[in-house]
Amino acid sequence: MIVLKWLFLTISPCDAAEPWQLGSQDAATPIMQGIIDLHHDIFFFLILILVFVLWILVRALWHFHYKENAIPQRIVHGTTIEILRTIFPSLISMFIAIPSFALLYSMDEVVVDPAITIKAIGHQWYWTYEYSDYNSSDEQSLTFDSYMIPEEDLELGQSRLLEVDNRVVIPAKTHLRIIVTSADVPHSWAVPSSGVKCDAVPGRLNQISILVQREGVYYGQCSEICGTNHAFTPIVVEAVPRKDYGSRVSNQLIPQTGEA
Amino acid sequence: MAESVSSQTPSLSEQYHLEKEVKPVEVAPEVTTTQAEEVETKEDSPSEEAVEDKSESPEVPSEEAPAAAEENNEENTTEEVAEETPDEIKLETAPADFRFPTTNQTRHCFTRYIEYHRCVSAKGDDAPECDKFSKFYRSLCPGEWVDRWNEQRENGTFPGPL
Repeated sequence: MIVLKWLFLTISPCDAAEPWQLGSQDAATPIMQGIIDLHHDIFFFLILILVFVLWILVRALWHFHYKENAIPQRIVHGTTIEILRTIFPSLISMFIAIPSFALLYSMDEVVVDPAITIKAIGHQWYWTYEYSDYNSSDEQSLTFDSYMIPEEDLELGQSRLLEVDNRVVIPAKTHLRIIVTSADVPHSWAVPSSGVKCDAVPGRLNQISILVQREGVYYGQCSEICGTNHAFTPIVVEAVPRKDYGSRVSNQLIPQTGEA
Repeated sequence: MAESVSSQTPSLSEQYHLEKEVKPVEVAPEVTTTQAEEVETKEDSPSEEAVEDKSESPEVPSEEAPAAAEENNEENTTEEVAEETPDEIKLETAPADFRFPTTNQTRHCFTRYIEYHRCVSAKGDDAPECDKFSKFYRSLCPGEWVDRWNEQRENGTFPGPL
C-alpha cells in the first residue's frame, strides 16, 4: 500500500549551502521562517513594480520612432498622475514596512527565559564552544574546539568546507541563548537555516536567542573576514531531541565521528 | 538523524510542533532552601561534569509538582526546566535580565561577576545566596574573561566596584 506520507521521506530539508542554490535554506527557527515570509511579501510587490516599470519602459522605447510617432507629446504637468504616483508608492512602502518592522522587533523580543546558554568564541581560525551552565566552580564544565575537517579527511557524503570535528549539540524545541564573542579578531557566527548571523567582536558579548524547531544538522560559515583561513571556519549545529541532550552533552568529550 | 526515527518518521507538522510547556516549571535550585524542596527523585546517574553537590536532583518530572515557590527576588522569572525524563543535566541558565535588554550583554556578565563577589564579601565564601550569582556569571562570561578577572582581583588591579 502506498502511503502519501512516504513521499516526505524523499524530501530532505536544505540546511546547508547547495551548489547553484537560488533561494534560502529551509527554516529551522521562527526567526528564519519570519524572514522567509517577509521575503515573499516583499517579492510580491517587487514583481508588481518590476512589471509595471518594464512595461512602461519597453512601450516608450518601442513607440519612440521618428516616422511612426513623429510628434512626441510634451506634457509637463498633470495633477492627477502626480498625486497617484505619490500615493501609490507610499502605500506600497507602507505594505512593505509593516511586516518588516513587525519581524524586526519581534526578533529582539525575549519572551521566555532561555533554558541554556552556549558561548561561541571565535578564534583564528576555529570556534570554541562553552557550555558552562553546569559547573560549580570556575573551571568550565564543557569546552571544546571546533575545527573544520580538511578536505583530505572527509568521508563519503560529507560536505566540503562545512564539516567540523566537534559539533554544537543543542536540544531542539528549547529556547537557547547563544553568546558570541571573539578571542582575537572580529568573526561572525552565522547559521542561515536558523536565521542567525551575529558578529563576534573581541571584548563584547553579543546575545542571540533562538528556538530550533526541528531536529537536524545545520551548517554555517564564519561571516566576517578574519584572516587567511576565514573561508575555512565553519559552524555546525546539531539539534537533538531534548531528552537525548543530557546524554549527548555528557558524552561530548568523546570525539564525534563525521556521521553519528 | 537516526535517533529521531521511532516507529514512524514524524510528519513536518509533527516535527515543528512545540509541546506546551504547561508543566510547572522548576525554580533555580541554588536558591536558599534548595535541597529539601527540590529533591524529589534522586538520580544517581553518573555524569562527569553535570552533577554538582547541590543540584544532584535533576529537573523534577512533571507529574510531581513541588512547591515552585518563586524565591528569586530579582528579575528571575520562571525558568524552563520542565523535562519529561529526569536527566543529569538540568536545563536552566541565567535568566533574561531586564537591566540589559539589548544584544550587548557585556555589562550583564560583568555585573553578575561583581554581584557575586560583593555577595561573597558581604556574606562569606560559602553563603548559598551567592551561588546563584556564581552560576549566572559562569553561564554568561567566557572562561578566559573570568580567569583574567580572577587574576586581576588577586593582584588588586580589578577595574570594578567590588
